[in-house]
This record gives sequence, structure tokens and C-alpha cells, in this order.
Amino acid sequence: MDQNNSIPAFQGLASPQGAMTPGVPIFSPMMPYGSGLTPQPVQNTNSLSILEEQQRQQQQQQAQQANAGLPGTSGQTPQLYHSQTVAGSTTTALPGNTPLYNTPLTPMTPITPATPASESSGIVPQLQNIVSTVNLGCKLDLKTIALRARNAEYNPKRFAAVIMRIREPRTTALIFSSGKMVCTGAKSEEQSRLAARKYARVVQKLGFPAKFLDFKIQNMVGSCDVKFPIRLEGLVLTHQQFSSYEPELFPGLIYRMIKPRIVLLIFVSGKVVLTGAKVRAEIYEAFENIYPILKGFRKTT
Amino acid sequence: MCPALNIHPSGDALALPRVTCPNHPDAILVEDYRAGDMICPECGLVVGDRVIDVGSEWRTFSNEKALKDPSRVGDAQNPLLNGGDLTTMISKGTGAASFDEFGNSKYQNRRTMSSSDRAMLNAFKEISTMADRINLPRNIIDRTNNLFKQVYEQKSLKGRANDAIASACLYIACRQEGVPRTFKEICAVSRISKKEIGRCFKLILKALETSVDLITTGDFMSRFCSNLGLPKQVQMAATFIARKAVELDLVPGRSPISVAAAAIYMASQASAEKKTQKEIGDIAGVADVTIRQSYRLIYPRAAELFPPDFKFDTPVDKLPQL
Repeated sequence: MDQNNSIPAFQGLASPQGAMTPGVPIFSPMMPYGSGLTPQPVQNTNSLSILEEQQRQQQQQQAQQANAGLPGTSGQTPQLYHSQTVAGSTTTALPGNTPLYNTPLTPMTPITPATPASESSGIVPQLQNIVSTVNLGCKLDLKTIALRARNAEYNPKRFAAVIMRIREPRTTALIFSSGKMVCTGAKSEEQSRLAARKYARVVQKLGFPAKFLDFKIQNMVGSCDVKFPIRLEGLVLTHQQFSSYEPELFPGLIYRMIKPRIVLLIFVSGKVVLTGAKVRAEIYEAFENIYPILKGFRKTT
Repeated sequence: MCPALNIHPSGDALALPRVTCPNHPDAILVEDYRAGDMICPECGLVVGDRVIDVGSEWRTFSNEKALKDPSRVGDAQNPLLNGGDLTTMISKGTGAASFDEFGNSKYQNRRTMSSSDRAMLNAFKEISTMADRINLPRNIIDRTNNLFKQVYEQKSLKGRANDAIASACLYIACRQEGVPRTFKEICAVSRISKKEIGRCFKLILKALETSVDLITTGDFMSRFCSNLGLPKQVQMAATFIARKAVELDLVPGRSPISVAAAAIYMASQASAEKKTQKEIGDIAGVADVTIRQSYRLIYPRAAELFPPDFKFDTPVDKLPQL
């Protein structure tokens, strides 16, 4: 729909009940998100290391055997077919013995340098909030907007902007007299853009020549649960330069990851909040980076 | 004729050459401060003379007023902190001649001492006042001053109120010396809010690239218990309870101060000196509902938490259950 939004609605790996087999990670850190169920062009798989390829193949074979009847597998079978042919082309010419390690015909370029051939977490962070800004391109009279629009509040003594809310998608916008607008509360990039457009339409209907310039997502917040309790004291000891844990000030550990530049709030219960991302991929990457570290600090009792 | 000074540089490259007696190089010289000589005890040779006398100039017994103190040396300078400027300060006159006809003092230049570090001196004064309110020892005050100086020279936190930085430095110094004070205790002696002190604390740790140890329940036991007037037995029991509770992970995610307060409550309720939650909450700076919450978490396993040699005034099953 929109030309500069290339990310399709992410439905495949969102909820655990959508996964094929619980515990079998279809989602691999090597593969870009969204590729578990959507068919991918063949050349993507060439960049995987051979070991990953074989693992993924095995997993998908298991998945396919286990869940032949599920409606979601329609997208999977072409995937399997692809990987099988690719694997067939990259193994050596002797069908009898399958060597443990094939001579790599494709360069082994690890995409994520830190993770060895370990499986991914299988957990996908859910986006909770997206903050975006857009320029409506004209000066606005906040008083008329506040008087004529529905669901708008304006208290110039407290804050110099009109606070407008819409129900679908459930968002809040701060509209300033310069024509700039901040839209918060959406759960996905598409929804944020849609909501911003709706606000712009409202302003336009009130008689202002509103445009839709420079829509930019400024911040994305995601959260997830690693499902085991975490020893925060251990984590702060080993990752001192990134972590800050002050139980007097805040019950969670504040982890400032350098690459990608994301701040994670890690709690004893195992819940993790990730924020500071400009794109969805940063949230996923940050979570994949932190997951093995958190596994190392799992509480054993 | 001046006796020869045998100069023996020691192995350390930075040592000053030492004087020794030429006949007895191993003899330790005796210093005669009245005459300013260094004398060899073996042969009586005067080895070094005109040694500068480092004793005090006058003997002041100071039962009289300090007006008549003839010492011209004054206070010890603190060169580490004040930037080592060698300005001359003229104090206010003492006799009648120092005032002119209107009653104003003639010599008025006490103002522009060290304008560049005036804020720093002010902060040191503030730190001293704060520390004095909670009876902190000299070593913590010195450490706080050093931290403040480092932060001030770095200028990375220049926009923040100096009092906030001073309070945060005080907090960090207590923590570094192994006797942490809670943020609320520092708030009690400072005009800055806990939020601002917390913010400055994190900024200073980042600016100075240091870190502090995590607080534990045992750090606060002796202070809280003695403020409540609890005997040593109860304090030891409370320390044991809190440590055991954390080891058994009965109170995940709770602040160590809340756990310590709940442990003190349990120990005091089991002994003869019973304290209410409100009293403990006042001393520890936690709300009594917080103590109640943490107490509820440790209550089920109370029997294992007590130290084995504890004398119960109230048995474990009769402990209050809230």
C-alpha cells in the first residue's frame, strides 16, 4: 500500500499457538524474520552455513511430518521443496554416504557473528508501542481544532499542543501549532502510519491545508517473556559496563546494548522490555543477542 | 668544615640521597632538633647540621582564647582539593585600629579568594554539613570530596545542581567504603529529591567510569537495629534471617531494604523486644505495607530462617501472621 513501508504485516511467528510444533524452532537467527512460513526465493538460503541448512532441513522435515493437516503448512511445503533442492545441489555427488561436513560450495558467511550453531530462542518480542512524527506542512490554529474536533483536549497553560485520540487504531496524537504531530500508542508500523493519516484527515476536514510530509518512526517498544526466572545480581556482575541494577531505584536491570543501540529492562520474573529501536529488526536482533546471556543466568531452584 | 656527606642512593630510583656517617654507614642517625643536628650514635659525629626544625613555632596550650594565638602558620592546607593556589588571605583585624570611623573594617578584601573554585569550596562545605548530620567519619567525607572534585573537573555534569552532585557523591562514597546508606537516608540530610539524586548517581558512575557493589541486606542491619534499640542477639538473628531468605529465594525482586526490614520485624517479634511495623518502617524508610508484603513471603518458612541457637521468647508458630 505505501511505497516506503516494505515490511508486510507480521503474522507468522507472533503467537505461540501459531507455531507448528512447540519447542521446535522454525525461526532461526540466520534467516530474516517472516521467512518461517512465507516462501522465500532460493538465493536467500545460499548465504546460510551448511550446518544451519541441514539443521533447518531436519526441523522442517519433522515439522512437516508432525503437522501434515494444519492449514498453515500450505506455505511451508514450497519452503521445504526449496531447501531440499538447494541441499541436493550443495552436497557432494555421492548419494550413499552423507558426510558430516560437506565441502562448502557457498562461502560460510555468518550473518550474526556472536551466535554459534545454537538454536534460536523461538520467542519473538511483541511490539507494544510505536511513536512516530509527521509534518502536516501548515500552521495550525489549535483553538479551532480543539473546539471543533471530537476527542480533543487543549490546555495551553499545561501543554502547548492539542491532544487528540482516535479509537481505531487506538492511538493518541499531540498536534502542535507549527503543524508537526506526534502519534503514539500504535502496535505496528502500519497502524502508526494509518493512524497518523487519520489525524491528518481530521485536521484537513477542519479546513487546514494539511499534507503528510516526513512520516518517521522515532521509537518502537517491544516486550517478551523468556519463561524462566533470571539472576539479575549475576548479570550485573559480569556485564557491569552495560548494566545498571539498583533495586532501590527500579526493580529491573537496565541493560544498554551497544549494537544495536537498544535499552532492555530485564526483570527477575523473566519478562524483558526492549525500547529505543527505529526499526523492528533492531528489537529482534537485540533480543536474539540477549537471550543466550539470559539463559546463562537462569535461576536453578 | 662541613663533614662529608656520604650519599648512598638506595635501590629505589626516586629515593633522595641519604646522609650517613662516613665511619658508620649503617648507623641510624639521631636527630637533635634543638640544635638542628643529626648525630651518629656510635662516634658522636655531627653529620648534618642546620636541619630545618619541623616542630611547631609556639607552644600553644589553647585554654585561653584563640585571639592571642601567635602561630603564623595557620591551618593545614589541603592541596589535593583546593587546586593548590598559593593566595594570601588577610583575616579580619582584631584590635580597634582595624575599624575605620563608621565601624566598617578597614581591610575588606576577603571576598575574591579563589573565584574559579568558589563553587567547589561551597560544595565541600555542603558535603561537610550533610555528613555531619548523619555522623559520617572523615574518610567518607574525604572520599566524597575527591569524587566531587573529579566530577567537577570533568565538567560533564555541569548543568546539574551542585548540591545534587554532592549528595550523589556522598551516596557513592558511603557505598564504596562498604557502609552504604539508603537513598532515603541521604535525602533526609539533603534538599534534593530522591529522583534527582538517583539520576545524578547514575550519571556520575558513567562519567567516572566506576561501578559500585550491589547492596545486600546485611549492610543495614547494624544501623537499623541499633536505631531501634534491639539487642545484639536480635540483630544477629535478623541478619541470619535476611540472608537465608535471599539464599532460598523467597523474596525475588524485592529491594534488600524491604527484606531487611521484614527480617528485623520477624526477629523482634520472636524475641522479647517486639517492634511494630510502623516503627521499623520509620527507621528503615520503607512503608509498613511493604514490610507486610515481604513478611508474608518469608512467614511460611519462618522455622528454617531462624539461626539454630536463637532463644525464642515467642515460638515460631505464635509469630503474628498478617
